[in-house]
Amino acid sequence: MPKPNKGPRLGGGPAHERLLLANLAAQLFTHKSIKTTETKAKRLRPYAERLITFAKRGDLHSRRRVLQVITDKSVVHELFTQIAPLVEEREGGYTRITKLGFRKGDNASMAQIELVLEPVVKKKAAAKKADAPAAEAPAADEPAADETVVEEAADETAADATETETTDAADAPAADAPAAEEAPADAEEGADEAK
Amino acid sequence: MAVPKRRLSRANSRARRSQWKATPVQLVKTIENGKVTYSLPHRARVVEDAAGTPLFMEYKGRKVADA
Repeated sequence: MPKPNKGPRLGGGPAHERLLLANLAAQLFTHKSIKTTETKAKRLRPYAERLITFAKRGDLHSRRRVLQVITDKSVVHELFTQIAPLVEEREGGYTRITKLGFRKGDNASMAQIELVLEPVVKKKAAAKKADAPAAEAPAADEPAADETVVEEAADETAADATETETTDAADAPAADAPAAEEAPADAEEGADEAK
Repeated sequence: MAVPKRRLSRANSRARRSQWKATPVQLVKTIENGKVTYSLPHRARVVEDAAGTPLFMEYKGRKVADA
């Protein structure tokens, strides 16, 4: 059985591994978010992102390349017509893995892998750079500058709020209520951490 | 199948077994609404309501999955 470049082997043989990854990718494109073991999610990530890159290219040749992997034409159609335009602006990193709990039967680490379909925020890079020094600064001079810490916390919460709003806009409108509840909770947490 | 040639002494068995120790789980301590909660780092947390019923999984202030 061939050894993958990265990550452990899956299934009982090369064909089984190819089928597992292809089926996982097809399910991911159908449902936008799937729950699987952490190992499978980590193997799936580069695999699925490569298919999305083909979908972004969008020509007939790339469509046939994808059809070699995912044989379901309806899934490939959805990938090329619906998912590809949403990630047009994004330069890689089309999927997000969030570790969940541990499975009851075998204590396997479970993870959620989802497509990142939110619109790309250009400001994000600047905001992240601002956040990183803000996180370091309180640790460096905690007793000296209390006011700056509070201000930074306020900034962070504001950034969080905007982020959640953008994600809401991208998500289905049904997800509005819990996100709205979370936003004030975030603010409180941020304030607590700053103190 | 390989078979041991000599009996393993009681001292050696016990010396081996004494090296098997449990390590404490590294947890993250957060304070929310004045209540201290511990959670696993880099892992989604189950949000519960007042009665302790699991509502959803949350990670970095974002709802990630159903409980």
